[in-house]
Amino acid sequence: MTPLTKKKWRCIELPQTGYRTAWKLQTDLVAARNDKGVETDIVLLLEHPPVFTLGRRGGLENLTVAEDILKDRGIPIVQVERGGNITFHGPGQLVIYPIVDLKSARLGVVDYVEMLEEVVIRVAADWGITSDRNPLNRGVWVGNRKLASVGVAVRRGISFHGVALNVNLSIEPFTWINPCGLKGIGVTSLEMELGSSVPIDPVRKAVKRHLGEVFEVELVMTKIEEFRNCRFKVS
Amino acid sequence: MKKINELIMPDDLRYAEDHEWARLEGDRVRVGLDDYAQDQLGDIVFVELPQVGDTLKKGGEFATVESVKAVVECYIPVTGEITDVNKELEDAPELVNQSPYGDGWFVELNPSDASEMETLMTSTECVEKLKGAE
Repeated sequence: MTPLTKKKWRCIELPQTGYRTAWKLQTDLVAARNDKGVETDIVLLLEHPPVFTLGRRGGLENLTVAEDILKDRGIPIVQVERGGNITFHGPGQLVIYPIVDLKSARLGVVDYVEMLEEVVIRVAADWGITSDRNPLNRGVWVGNRKLASVGVAVRRGISFHGVALNVNLSIEPFTWINPCGLKGIGVTSLEMELGSSVPIDPVRKAVKRHLGEVFEVELVMTKIEEFRNCRFKVS
Repeated sequence: MKKINELIMPDDLRYAEDHEWARLEGDRVRVGLDDYAQDQLGDIVFVELPQVGDTLKKGGEFATVESVKAVVECYIPVTGEITDVNKELEDAPELVNQSPYGDGWFVELNPSDASEMETLMTSTECVEKLKGAE
C-alpha cells in the first residue's frame, strides 16, 4: 500500500567538509535522532578533502605506499567504526550519509545497504552507464571496476556513514591502496566511464531524485543551521 | 530472509528489544544474538567482544557485529560483570549465523540482579512483536 503522504527526509547539502567534522556531525545527529531531538530521518550530501579511512577491521596493511608519501601530500588516515576496509575520499566524489531510523522504517541492514546501492545504480543509468552489484564485494561496480563504495554503521537502530560515489575525482590515490582490501581490482568514476566531463551538481540532483524514489520519501531541503538551534548541540 | 514462522526462538530464553537473547544458567547469564538478528544481518564477518571483568549496565554497548559492510552495535540485556567471552568468534564469526543459541554465543556474565531477566521479552512476546511490525 502506498501511503497518501510520503515520509519526509531532511536533506542537508554541505560544502566540502573535513572527514572528522562530518563524522562528528553524523554522530551528533544519530544521538539527536535517538533521543527524539530530531524526529525525521536525514541525509547529508557532501564532498571530503582528500583522506584515507580505515574500517573497523583496519586496513593499513592494504596501503601499498609508504605512509610518508601521504604525509608529504598532507593526506590524513582516519580510523572509523564503519564496516569495510581502507578507502579514499576526495573532491569529485559525492558522499551520501543517510541518518535513518532503520527500526521505525522497518528496514533490515541488508535491505538498507541494497537500497543505497540501488540509488547509485539508477544514477549511473541516468548517464547511460550500466552498473551492478558484485558478489566479490559490496558497493556498485562497472564490470570489475568499483564506482561506489558502501560502508554503514548502525547505532541504536539508527544508520550512519553510507555510500561514496566517484563522479569526477582523480583516482590516482586509489592506486596507493588495495581498495576495500581487495587486490587486483580497479576503481572508476562516472567521468571515466563516460569519457567526457561530468560535473558534480547534476549528479547531486540525480542522487536526490533517486533517494526519494528508492526509499519512497520526500526530500526536504534543510540548512544545517536549523539543527544548530535545536535543543541538542550540533557543533 | 526468513519468514517469522521460520524463525527459531527458543522458549527458555529471554529477548531484548534489539534482539539480543539472555539465558539463565545457574547463577550466570549467557548472552547472544537471536535468529532474527543474525538473519537480518546476513553473513557475519567480524565480532568484537568486551573483556572478562568489564562491568556493563543494562542497555550499554557490549559488542559490535560486522556483516555485509555494516557494523551494528549490540546492547547488554542485563546488568552484570562479564565472566567469559566466546573466543571462538574471533576466528569463526560465522558461528553466529550457524548456531545463534549454541556455539555462536557472545558472553557470559554474573548478573547484579537476576530478576532483571523478567524485564525481557519471552519468546512468544518477541514473536508477537515481530508480527505486529509486519
